[in-house]
Formats: sequence, C-alpha cells, structure tokens
Amino acid sequence: MTFIKSFTSKNLFSSLTNKDDFLLLDVRNKKDFSRFQIEGPFEVDMVNIPYFDFLEGEDGNISKVSRQKPVKIVCAKEGSALYVGEILVAHGFEDVAYLAGGIKTWGNLLTPKRINPKSDDYALFQFIRPGKASCNYGLLYKGEMIIFDPSRNYEFYKSFAESHRTKIVRTFETHLQADYISGSKQIANVNGAEIMAHVSDFKDASFQYSEVKDGESYPVGDDGPEIKVLHSPGHTPGSTSYIIDDKYFITGDTMFIFSVGRPDLSGKTEEWSLMLFDTLTNKVQNLDKNLDVLPGHYMDWNEANDKLLFVEKLGEVIQHNAGVYKITTPEKFTQYIKDNMRKSPEVYREIRKVNSGWLDVDMDEADIMDLGKNECAAEAYNAEKG
Amino acid sequence: MNKFDFNKELDCTGLNCPLPVLKTKKIMDNMAKGEILRMISTDPGSKNDVTSWVGRTGNEILSIEELGKKIIFFIRKA
Repeated sequence: MTFIKSFTSKNLFSSLTNKDDFLLLDVRNKKDFSRFQIEGPFEVDMVNIPYFDFLEGEDGNISKVSRQKPVKIVCAKEGSALYVGEILVAHGFEDVAYLAGGIKTWGNLLTPKRINPKSDDYALFQFIRPGKASCNYGLLYKGEMIIFDPSRNYEFYKSFAESHRTKIVRTFETHLQADYISGSKQIANVNGAEIMAHVSDFKDASFQYSEVKDGESYPVGDDGPEIKVLHSPGHTPGSTSYIIDDKYFITGDTMFIFSVGRPDLSGKTEEWSLMLFDTLTNKVQNLDKNLDVLPGHYMDWNEANDKLLFVEKLGEVIQHNAGVYKITTPEKFTQYIKDNMRKSPEVYREIRKVNSGWLDVDMDEADIMDLGKNECAAEAYNAEKG
Repeated sequence: MNKFDFNKELDCTGLNCPLPVLKTKKIMDNMAKGEILRMISTDPGSKNDVTSWVGRTGNEILSIEELGKKIIFFIRKA
C-alpha cells in the first residue's frame, strides 16, 4: 500500500539546494503558473499540468509524469495536489508527495543564513525569501534582535528570536515597500518593538515610528556594532540604507547586485530618477568599495555566491553595473531609466496602503497580494549591457 | 443576481479546489447541449481554474461576476 506523503516549503528548499533528484509537478492553472513559479539555486525538473486536466483523458496526462523519480506536487492551497497525488498512486506511482499548505507557504518561506564570521561577537543573518526573490536581515547581539525590512512571516521571526534567546527590539525599514507587505507593524504591536523609518516615505503612516536621519548612528546594546544611517533616495524619496559595523551595507531597493532600484514605480519618474542619480553618483560611489552590499532583492539565483548568499563587494557591484554608474549627466540617467521602464504591477498601489497602515486586509487577501516575484529592479540584465 | 436564465444551479460556497471544478464537471456531464449552469464559488482560485477548465472542454463562460467574496459563473454546455 502506497501512501501520499506531505512536505513543507522548508523541506522543498532543502531538496532544491541539495540537488535532490525529483520531478516537481505544478498542478495550478497555466495563468497562475506563468505568473509565479518555484525557483531554486539549481535547475529544477518541473512540469505544469493543471489538476483539471487529469479529469479529461486521465491516462494521456499521467503518461507525461515521469515514473523514474519521486514526484512532488504543488498547487494553490493543497487540495488539488492531494487529489492528483491520489490519482498517481492509484496508477502505481510509488513515491508521491504534496506541498502542505500550498504554494502560499512557499511564497512566505524565509531561509536564514549567517553572513559574518562566527568569531564576531554579533551575528548578521540574511533571511532569503525564495518565493519573492527578496532578502531581509537580522542582527543579533547580547539578547537583542534587530530586523531590517521584515516580511509578514511573524511566526518565523518569533521562533528565530526565541531560538537565539533574543528579543526583537527594533525594525528598520529601508523604504515604504510596494512589492510586499511589511511585518513591522505586527512586530511592533506584539513585541513592543520600535519601528525605525524615514519620514519622506512614512509621513502619512497611520502607526507610530521613530524617524531615522542621514548621518545618525545607532548602537546595538551598550557596546555592540554601530548602525549608520545613509539616506539614499531614488527608488522612493525616503529610501534609506544602513551600514553595520562599517562593513555591511544594507541597501534595500536602492541598488542590487545586478541592477539598481526602479525610480518609476509611482509615476514621478523624472523627479525620483534625479534623486537616484544623485544618490548613486555623489553618495554610493564615495563609500568604501570594500563594503559588502546586502541587497533587498535579487533577480536570479545566479547572483548568489558559492555559499548561496546574496552579497558582493561595493566595488564589484559598481563594476557589474558600469552601464548605470558611468552615466555622467542627470539627463542621460533619466533617459536611461525611461528606456528601461516597464509597467508596474497594479497591486503595488494597494500594498503601499497596507504598509502605511491605511488598508487592513485579512490573511487570505494578504496571501494573494503578497504572492509573486518582485518587479523592483530598473532592469534585470544590466550586466550584459554594462 | 440573474443575468441569464439558467437550467441548473450549483453552490460551492465554502469549498476549496479541486471541489468547485470537480462538482461543476460532474453536473455539466449530465446537462444537455445549450443548457446553462449558474455556479457560485467563494474560493478565489476558482476564477482562473474554472475559466481555464471551461476553455478546454469547449463549453462557454457567459459571464463571471464578483459579489463580495462570491464569484458567480454562468456556463453554457457545448
């Protein structure tokens, strides 16, 4: 007797990074599949056959599923994956499993990875969100945890903080996010943590926060590493980067390893492009080129290093994006942005309202708004042109 | 709201996928050519799923309307 097993998003991420040999069968409809798919650091053997195709001409579709390796089935919630799994088992498939909770659990998954050496007296973690191609960060020192750009996976942060015997004391926002729902409000409400953000993005927020200002520094604990504030407007007027311990440069969506943040998401393209030009030319390029850039997003897993971390020296990032950083006049820069503009997802307007605290959505609605890869880079293949 | 006269009705309120599509298929298998089904679903995934499935069967979606959490489909059997 064969039973259908279940697996979690966390299991799936391990299988993907371990290069396990399996078939990923996505049974969602073609439209949802084309909008958002599972991606890992290495090539995935994946096939999309909607569950309702197994209703008509069952056998024809079953023959499209390999019997040579384990089959992992994914759908929106989990019911359809289980349904298809039962059909496969009834047809003699031996190793069949379905994603418990459906693809939204993949969308919310965070995977922690330590960035700095274990010999340091503080710990800096990159929390990679594979379903969104985004990164947020956790800084831990002597019983305190600080989160940069938390997503709304509150349970993850809570258990991470607990397992490291720390308390979440502050969250720093790099900007008012448009592509995902921020977790800061919930962390502040439940843990009493202080939200730190720039007034240019958060002046209309309905919740309490403390203003960060360019040039200020925040110590962590009594004698921990310093967090320096660098106002880096462009992607948004309030975009702010944070430099930790003079080594780690958390850039939010100001700059990525292979692109820069889009200044065209709100319709004020010219104004925000000029801000970004000034930030990149007069601020970023004057910083220590040895800083480790820690971006808010990646475009592709190719950007990860051999430890599967998204981190790169500032000097290298400027080299990778020479096409952008070498532009000498604001006019040419604005033209460059306009040449690379594309439509911004309609849902971003709604997500901004949620993140300012002016729109409340229930869990289901939040899951739908929050699903899908980000669209924050000015263009994805800058390096090839540079 | 009844935009069309219909012959059968199926209420899938509260059901998640795959049930709305499975039940729709079952009821439509027993309908005559040209008859119209009014189907109500509250699963947000139904919108793309039902549209995609109907497209494959040759049946025709006459309208899709959203009323609060309810999605109301009128589907004509081919």
